[in-house]
Amino acid sequence: MHNKQEAADNFELWARLVQNIAETRGSNAKVELCANYFAHLAPSEVSLACQFMGEGAFSTISGKRASVGARTIGVAAADYCGIDYDIVFKACRTANGSSTETIQRLFENLPEARQKNTLQHWNLARISELAEELAQTRGRKDKQRILTRVWGGLSPLATKYFLRLLSQGSLRIGFERRSVLQALARSSQVDYEQLRYAHMLTGSLAKTAELACTNRLDQAQFKLFNPIAFMLAAPLHSRSVEHWHDFIAEEKFDGMRCQLHAHGPKVELFSRDLNAITNQFPELVELFGKKEFPPTVIDGEICVYRDQTIQPFQELQKRMGVKKPSKTLLREYPVVFIGYDLLYLNQKETVSQSLTQRRISLENIAKTYKFPISTQHSVDSKDQVDQLFEQALAHGNEGLMLKEKEAPYSFGERNNHWLKVKRPSGSIDTVILYAQAGSGKRGGSYSDFTLGVSVKEDPRYEEEFIPIGKAYGGYTDQEWKELNKAIKGCIIDRFGPTAQLRPEIVVELEFEAIQPNPRTKAKYTLRFPRFKAIRWDLSPQDVDSLDHVEMLFNEHQSKERSPQKSSQSFLIPD
Amino acid sequence: MLKVKKARYHGIKLPELSIGLDYSNADVQHIFVSHAHADHIPRNRTSLREHTNLAIYATPPTAALMRLRGFKEDIIELPFFEPLTTDHFTMTLYPAGHILGSAMAFIESGVGNILYTGDCKTPASPATEGFELPKDRQVDQLIIEATFGLPIYRWKSNEELQSDLVSFARQALDEGYTPIFLGYNLGKAQEMMHMLRELPETKQIHGGGYPLCAVYEKYGIDLGPYERYNRASSEGCLLFTPNSGLESGFASHIKKKRIAYCSGWASHEARRTQTQAHALIPLSDHLDYFELINLCEHLQPKRTYITHTPDPKVVLHELQQRGLDAVYLDMMHEELD
Ligand SMILES: [Zn+2]
Repeated sequence: MHNKQEAADNFELWARLVQNIAETRGSNAKVELCANYFAHLAPSEVSLACQFMGEGAFSTISGKRASVGARTIGVAAADYCGIDYDIVFKACRTANGSSTETIQRLFENLPEARQKNTLQHWNLARISELAEELAQTRGRKDKQRILTRVWGGLSPLATKYFLRLLSQGSLRIGFERRSVLQALARSSQVDYEQLRYAHMLTGSLAKTAELACTNRLDQAQFKLFNPIAFMLAAPLHSRSVEHWHDFIAEEKFDGMRCQLHAHGPKVELFSRDLNAITNQFPELVELFGKKEFPPTVIDGEICVYRDQTIQPFQELQKRMGVKKPSKTLLREYPVVFIGYDLLYLNQKETVSQSLTQRRISLENIAKTYKFPISTQHSVDSKDQVDQLFEQALAHGNEGLMLKEKEAPYSFGERNNHWLKVKRPSGSIDTVILYAQAGSGKRGGSYSDFTLGVSVKEDPRYEEEFIPIGKAYGGYTDQEWKELNKAIKGCIIDRFGPTAQLRPEIVVELEFEAIQPNPRTKAKYTLRFPRFKAIRWDLSPQDVDSLDHVEMLFNEHQSKERSPQKSSQSFLIPD
Repeated sequence: MLKVKKARYHGIKLPELSIGLDYSNADVQHIFVSHAHADHIPRNRTSLREHTNLAIYATPPTAALMRLRGFKEDIIELPFFEPLTTDHFTMTLYPAGHILGSAMAFIESGVGNILYTGDCKTPASPATEGFELPKDRQVDQLIIEATFGLPIYRWKSNEELQSDLVSFARQALDEGYTPIFLGYNLGKAQEMMHMLRELPETKQIHGGGYPLCAVYEKYGIDLGPYERYNRASSEGCLLFTPNSGLESGFASHIKKKRIAYCSGWASHEARRTQTQAHALIPLSDHLDYFELINLCEHLQPKRTYITHTPDPKVVLHELQQRGLDAVYLDMMHEELD
């Protein structure tokens, strides 16, 4: 198989290895193949090879995405091999089930595609650059041009895997991150546990590989005041929980995720995208600084807290992004930090411990240093979860978090160990798909917006997002200015006064009710949708799915909710 | 042009000539059975028996295979290339290349002719009588199957597939594994045995397929050394079984085995997990999309009827783009006329 012209880091070789792994049965044999491959690569090449195998074109912690939808790819592919997208391509994809494999077959079979192909022998780094170029490119047409150029230089097999890389999802070869690490452990002859630990801390396969290949695994240490990737929650679907009693419930605060690092008088705060937000919340720095913590990292939430009540997210927005806030702002929008997880204590990381163990330590330290932590509830049934959920809503919180008691803290991962149960009606996170220039007061600028929900995982649709409603107002003048500025950077296409946007700006949309509407693509419309908040802190991956909208609708249909007596969402140990 | 009617689940009918093509109803005088696969053999046998004025035609190998599979009614054996003439039509059978005995029917009448392919493959499967078209005849109406009528399907040559089969078997045996070939009992199994005939190891075939092999040998297809599957002596042989065999314990005692799934559907990666196979060998006994389009274009029929297809729009679209009149015969739904 090895061609003399092919350097070890040739992407074609990588793709053939991946196919080989797919065709091999038994995880040990798969790991062996992969380890042999790694052994022929230079350290920097192993890094990229690992990232491609386990994460995608981009590292998970970068949060980067190529942002090319299935339809954009499909239309370009049909065009590339000279077939009709609606008649031929769609039928082929339906028959095969996988759009990337369909593209591989079509490129192999159709003379028009074969004629356009000249193997370029790109290496892994070049492929990474090409993916980057896609991510940086705005318009659909321009993205399609890049795709076409890439396809012209890759074999059909490599094209299939290149496209799978772009989705930042699984390569679907029965070889997940754990196997990649096992192969890496074998090829670089290091202890698997040590590797796993380094991966946990760095949250990155590429970084882990780099350390492993250069004998610097001991550097993979939790360093205080260096943020680490947050553990993320997946939405709760009816099937994601088998045994309720494996989980505990916490209220999901309507605030901002924050990682607090403290040691003695020094305190640093980091947001979910791992940026320092320390100078935006001087009162927290002062409060926690005075407590003189031992080296500690706490995961938690910042909320505006006034009159013994957690205030809505909009109030917190007054504080977000404001460096060195004025005394007035501090007085009007006082914040609280509520801890819910402990990642590091006294020179020891606690992330590999179970949640139950971490919670014990968290409770102890909260008691000693007197700071608020979330209230945990044990659960053993769906009914109980529903009841707690309503209680959370009564507190003005977003919903519930279900966390698996035995699970470690998985950095930078969104998995079923943490599940979010969101508000049954009232608001959803959407993404702006179209903006329309208004007339009158806001003439010439964009003031009407079409909002979309995610259908990425939905077999009924081929898009990533589809419209769920239009909103005309609910934002302040300041927000509207910022929004218009952001929109300019996301425009893909224009039709008269309407601009099509790259799905990037996340809006929390409030509404009165969800109504079925068979005439729309989503089959549902929102009654009186309006902006609740522009969620600059969220990415399009956080956008709620159409499934979620359907679930809200069904839940609302099936029961009327009455407010519960309040109890505490969080405790301040006395 | 002749009228072509589809009769839900019962096959195709040419009412003006009283002919049924792979047909199961007794409301015609002539039934042509294209080959011995179950979905082409008349099913409604009681009513056929009561209908005394009915003739069932098949090639001699097809008739032999049908009898072995339990078909008890009278069959008129009609050899390839020998025209059968009645008052209303002449019917000549041509080899279809699908399985042994598989035939296409070329029916000529006063109101034009029709070529019905049944299941077909060109280039032909090597374990058949080949594939041949009526010579020097303009085909007016063509009824053709399009099981793999999508451009995602393009088969390797028979030689390449044979070498895939041989190297899969050789490698497994050399490494101490028993190779198992998954394919159905009539046609696919014998085709693979034929392709693997030169391997010295004994072939053992599932009991359902074993008796059919004699018909293949009788008609000159070399299958190499083979015997009926025997649990006690099966290890180290080349084994042939349909999917269902594995589920009911076939070779379940053999620890070291490697399974190859051999079918046109093996061109879908998803079959790897669905069948638990170690190898997918896309060995099909139907023509692929490109062969189908080429055949239609070569024949230039006045009208083409497509049957058995994943999405008729695709083939119809392609044929229409090439200036050919084409329609879809949906075998699952009622006739519209
Ligand atoms: Zn057949």
